[in-house]
Parts: sequence; C-alpha cells; structure tokens
Amino acid sequence: MNVLIVEDETGLANEIAAFLKREGFLCEMSFTGSDASEKIAVNLYDFILLDLGLPDYNGLDLIKEARGNGSDAAFIIITARGAVEDKVKGLDLGADDYLAKPFALVELLSRIQAVARRKFNMPNQNLNIGEFTIELQSRKLTCKGKEVIITKKEFDLLHYLVMNRNRVLTRNQLYEHIWGNILDDQYDSNFIDVHIKNVRKKLNEHAPSPWLETVRGIGYRVSM
Amino acid sequence: MVKLKIKLALFSLLTKLGFTVVFLIFMPSLFEWITLMQVDNDLIQKREKVITLISNIGIEPFMTADTANVFGSYNILKEEFISLEKIDLKEDENYIEVTNRLIEGEVIAYRVLNYSFQVDGNTYLLEVGKSLSSINYMSKNIGKVIIVFLFFIILITFIADLQYTRFLLKPLDMITNKLKGISDPSIFDKKPVRTTTSDFQYLDSALRELMEHIDQLFQKEKEITVNISHELMTPISVLRGKLENLLMQEDINDVISNKIEESLKTLHRLQTLVNSLLMIARIESRQYLREESFQVNEVLREIIGELNPIAEDAGILLSGEFERDLQLERANRSLIFSMFYNVVNNAVKNTSSGGEVHVKSSVLNGRFMVIISDSGRGMTDSQVSTLFSRFSTRLETSGNNTGIGLAISKSIADFHNIEISVRSVIEKGTTFLFRFPENS
Repeated sequence: MNVLIVEDETGLANEIAAFLKREGFLCEMSFTGSDASEKIAVNLYDFILLDLGLPDYNGLDLIKEARGNGSDAAFIIITARGAVEDKVKGLDLGADDYLAKPFALVELLSRIQAVARRKFNMPNQNLNIGEFTIELQSRKLTCKGKEVIITKKEFDLLHYLVMNRNRVLTRNQLYEHIWGNILDDQYDSNFIDVHIKNVRKKLNEHAPSPWLETVRGIGYRVSM
Repeated sequence: MVKLKIKLALFSLLTKLGFTVVFLIFMPSLFEWITLMQVDNDLIQKREKVITLISNIGIEPFMTADTANVFGSYNILKEEFISLEKIDLKEDENYIEVTNRLIEGEVIAYRVLNYSFQVDGNTYLLEVGKSLSSINYMSKNIGKVIIVFLFFIILITFIADLQYTRFLLKPLDMITNKLKGISDPSIFDKKPVRTTTSDFQYLDSALRELMEHIDQLFQKEKEITVNISHELMTPISVLRGKLENLLMQEDINDVISNKIEESLKTLHRLQTLVNSLLMIARIESRQYLREESFQVNEVLREIIGELNPIAEDAGILLSGEFERDLQLERANRSLIFSMFYNVVNNAVKNTSSGGEVHVKSSVLNGRFMVIISDSGRGMTDSQVSTLFSRFSTRLETSGNNTGIGLAISKSIADFHNIEISVRSVIEKGTTFLFRFPENS
C-alpha cells in the first residue's frame, strides 16, 4: 500500500517512514504543504498521514484539494497542536482518523490497519493463538468452541497484542491504546500488569497460554 | 430573589399606602378644623352684617317690649340662628364655642359666636349659631368619597407603575437574559440592546467590551496553548519515534533494550506532564465543548468498572452506592469522566490492602452530590489545603505521581460549576464531596 507522509518535521517523518517500510508499506514524504499538494495531484495514494501544523499550508485544505481531485486516499491526521476543534473539523472534512502527537508507531500502524479494513471492506478475520480464537465479529474469545469470559478491556488488550504478534509492546503502548483518553499522571501505574495477570488466569482455566510472554523490563509479547 | 421591577412597584405601592394611612388618620381632625374655620368665618361675616344693620337702623326694631329684651331668629330647619339679648355685663365678650342648644324640644350642637357690644349705654350679647350636624354629615360623605377615590388612585397608579417600570427596565431584562447561560464569552450576543436610558446603554456597552476583551484573552490563550503544544509535542514525538524504532531492532541486547524502555518511560512522563498542563490551560480558557447530556451514575459505574481490577488486585473493596441520579446537561462527558476518575484512582492508590473506597451519589438540600471516600492514610489540614494546586499533592508519598491529577479535577469542576470539598483525617481516610449546581 502507498503511503504519503506529510510532515514538516523531517526527523519524525523519517522515523514513521522507516517503521512503515519495515511493515511493508511504500512510503513517500513531503515536508511542505505545496509539495504534498503536487504529489497528491499526480500520484494515487492509499493513505495520507497529514500533519496539520504545516508552515506553508493549512493542512485541512489538503483534504479538500484531494477530495476535489477525486482522490479516495484515506487521511489520518497527525497533529501536535492539540486544539480540540482540529479533530472535529478534520473528521468533518472527511479525514478517516485522528492521532495526537506523540503517538506510538504501533498505534499508527493499528489505526492504518483499521482504516484499511473499513475502507477496503476487508472482513474481520478471526485470529487464532494456541488453542484460542479471537472472534472479531462477535468480539468473543473462545477456546475449542467454548467461550472464555473476559472483560471488554481484557479483550482489547489481548487483541492488540495478537495483532502485533512477535513484537514487544511496552506497558505505555498498551495503556495508550486501551485507555487512550485517560490522562493518568501516576506514571507507575500497574494497570497493564493487573490486566495481563487477569487475562492469563482466565486463559489458563481453559488451556495453557505460554505464548503470552512477559518481556522483563519492557512489556509483553505474543509469540507465535 | 425578587425582580427589580417588582421591588420598585412594591416600594411605590407601600409608600402610597403609607401616605394614605397617615392621611386617613389625620383626615377627620383636618376636616373638622377646616370646616370650623369656614363656619367661623361665616359666623363673623354674619355678625358684621348684624352689627351694620344695628348701626343703620338702631337696636329698637329688635328689642320690643313683648320680646322682653330678647330677639331670636332661626330658620325652619334650625340650621342657623341669631339671638340678641340685653345683659348686665361689664366685660367684653367675643369668642366662638360649640354648645348644645335646646330649640323646640330638640338638642342640637351649634357653633356659636358670642359677641357683646354696647348701644345707648346698654350691653347686648349677640349670638350667631350654625348647626354642626349637617356639616358633620357632609364631611363624613366627603370622607367616604375620598377613601374610594384614593383606593382607585392607588390601584391605578400601582398598575401604571408596574407597567412603566416593566417598560423602563426591559433593556435591563434583555441584558440579564444575554448573560444567562453564558458559558463562553464568544457566544455572548454582541448586538447592542436598544434603549434610550443612558445607564443601560453604558451597562450594555461595558459588558460587551468586557466580553470581547475576555474573548480576546481566551483566543490568545488558545493560540498560546496550540503553539506550546506544537513546540513541545513535536520534539517529544520525534524522540519517541526514534526510541520506538530502536527498540524494534532485532540486533540489540537486553541491557540496551531496557535502557531504551526506561528512556521511553521518562519521555512518557514528560508527555503526560505537558499534556496535563495543556489540558488545564485549555479547560481554563474554555476550549472544551460543553454540549453533551448524560447520566452521572453511568459515568461513575464506568469508572468503578475500570478501576475494579486494580482495586481487587490491591485487596481494596471498591464499591458504588447510587441513591439518586442526575441527567447532566451541557457538559463534557470525557472531562467529567476524568474529574471523577482522577479522584477515585487517587483514592485507590492511597488506600492499603484491606481498605475500602466508596463512591456514592445522592441528593442533599436539593443538590445532587457525589461522595468519594476512602479508608486510606488521610492527610493533614495543610496537605488538604494545597491538594488542588499543581505539583503540590502527596508527592513525597506517591513516588512518581506528578501530582497534577487533582488539579485537573478541580479545573474541570470549576468549568462545570461543581464545588469540591475535602475532609480528611490522618489514618482514617479522605472524603471528596462534589456538589453539583442547584439548577442542574
């Protein structure tokens, strides 16, 4: 999939591009609004990651232009301005998602995947791990056909880990993904540890879950 | 609370009634005094006429032998009489009095003028009298008419006053209406109120200027927060991207990856701190929308649900008791969520195993309130007094706590006109009380 990264902060644009390339995306970068405007007019992109704080351009105008050109690229707004109305305006203009800086790269990836599934009508495929199945349509976890009762947050946590299988996710990345809108100033929150503990307990009642690993000092990983 | 126009009308009514009562109390004696003055004048005029008559034609026509030196005359209805009598009196008499006279078997109160004069060496006493009964009767009637008249005058002027003050104060009503329900200076109606009263014009224009000024300040603050946010968050996000990419490299060892994760944690702390400060600034400059309507208990249940796993893990009983509910209008749900969440989260973190955190909603004195109490270690009075200031909370006791969560809760509460009060007893626990505005 083609991604255009419109971001005047070259350092960040490079990191996003490096990460997405590793994930198999084709990436191009624009560091100015006018450059992005030209690129959008000429090329077809599946995704445009748009920073609203461009020095030469109102980022929101780029969405209008692209829509005017008949581009059906999915826009994900990434902004550090944090203005409340930016989000509303952006989504009103047809942006597909909104991500406030700073964000976790894996979070960006999961947003892109979610938008892609929506946009390209990809069916939610069930995910299998060990003897367990994450049923995305019904949002249920089953083990050999039997439902494992877990809370919504626990489901989200497990789902996120499985989607990013074989990648270590830090507690922060997990926390932000699930409790994104809550500002917890008490940083040493053991939220994730408690939830993982509960998930393990519930899983182990049905079948062993050696694939859910604790990576000491860093976080958690689902290995398959 | 009474409206100004009602107060003004009531005041004018009361003063009128007061004057009327005073008037009614003094009216009878005033009336009497005036009528007596008139009667007396009348009597004196009559006396002068009689004296002139006597000096013209002499006393003889009145004093005939068969009248035995007494002359008397009264009209048919006995309203007036005149009498002349020869008397032996050396002193001059000239006075007016009220006396009862028996005339043809009837006792009648008269105002009588007594006047002595001398003609041909003889002293005569002239009496001119006028009956008071007819006068009293008339004054009573006039009194009744006056009372009825006054009553109507008061009624009519009261209604007129009410209407006029209503008309007069209409611009003031419009100004107060403009102020009602203003949560943000930018939605203040900038159209000037039409009035010919200079005071209202001044009030209205002063208010508009003030609102515009506040609005500009808010706009400026908004710009500042947007800029600060951009300036601080951009480098943080660059750093974060670099560190996260580093952590995903496969050829690094555990020591390095632990160091990277520690750096990410520190960076996250910085990010949370900046976000918290920006959040407070945004709340204080009213950048958040307040246009949601929701049940408060539903928010509390959600928070308890979120924090229950943590509480359970720590051996704390987190419970809810929902006596009453409130449909909160024109509020921001995620802010209200954060406000309660920070306090409940704080309570759970400051309570040790075996303790309790209790969330309760109820109504007291007609006001909805939420009470969050814990059986934690409690705080001293000086700790309580600085609880809501930024960075001043129980820093020493809670490790990495940046101490800004409660400051956020406080600014959210202020934004929604919710009062927070705290009671705390060392080793017993702390209670947070959220009092919602009366009209919500």
